[in-house]
Amino acid sequence: MKYSILILSLCATPVLADVNISGSVEAKCIIQTDTGGVYGNPTATKLSTLPADGGVIPIVRYDVAVANYYTAKITHPSAFSSSPTLTDTVAWTGVSSVAQTTVAGMAAYDAAKVVYGSTTNFNLTIAGSTWFKTASTATYGVGKAFPGGSYTAVVQAECIAN
Amino acid sequence: MLWTSSLTAHEMTPAYPKIKSSYVSGVVKVEMSIFNYRSDVKYYQVDVFDIDWKKVPFSTQYKVLKVKHSERNNFNVYIRKTDLKRAVYLCTTSKVKKQVGVNTLVSSRICSRLDGARP
Repeated sequence: MKYSILILSLCATPVLADVNISGSVEAKCIIQTDTGGVYGNPTATKLSTLPADGGVIPIVRYDVAVANYYTAKITHPSAFSSSPTLTDTVAWTGVSSVAQTTVAGMAAYDAAKVVYGSTTNFNLTIAGSTWFKTASTATYGVGKAFPGGSYTAVVQAECIAN
Repeated sequence: MLWTSSLTAHEMTPAYPKIKSSYVSGVVKVEMSIFNYRSDVKYYQVDVFDIDWKKVPFSTQYKVLKVKHSERNNFNVYIRKTDLKRAVYLCTTSKVKKQVGVNTLVSSRICSRLDGARP
């Protein structure tokens, strides 16, 4: 009996196997819409996303896994995508800038940004997350009030492989 | 690197896709993958551009992809070898729709590079 128990216990030796976990970090970019913007209407002729004007500035977050592989290209609106009928021209202004970072060095993106027309380019030279805010203001005609109704504009956030 | 999950993200990989031969002579294939975490977006448009952002002809099953929230969609893009010489960017752009209470929408576009250039 003793021998049979000993033999059985030997047979019950656990079988061990190695399970490998493999992975890799590849260059990729993720664009996240952090905050949707809202236009405030501080005067009859002006719509603005600035908090001082009663608006909310849209914020977009870029995540890049590897440094130097992508350029963030953010374009502020230069027209309404939907609005009541407008009979006069609308003058647009806008600014894109760094709002928040996960790495202190990303604050330098603002100084190195390239602005052309309504587009701002930020070279994403550091891996991690960066939040960009894009303020925009629309001013209608000369002393004309915006007609009542709903207005929508689009901020284009692009992540272009270098 | 660990990022917190978000309900509003657009991701496309790879950044530098491999150009593969296809079953059609004179046509190459590019295998791409898009991940939609944007709850406000269901459709993404596929485009191919040259270095000057002019459109380059290509073919794919759907030029506007339907990608449900939190889903990944693998898709192939077919480009003629004659057009591949000038094809530089392969992009997906979110198709935003009007929302109540938000009047500055964000359209996201991610572009990969097809010309083999790397930083």
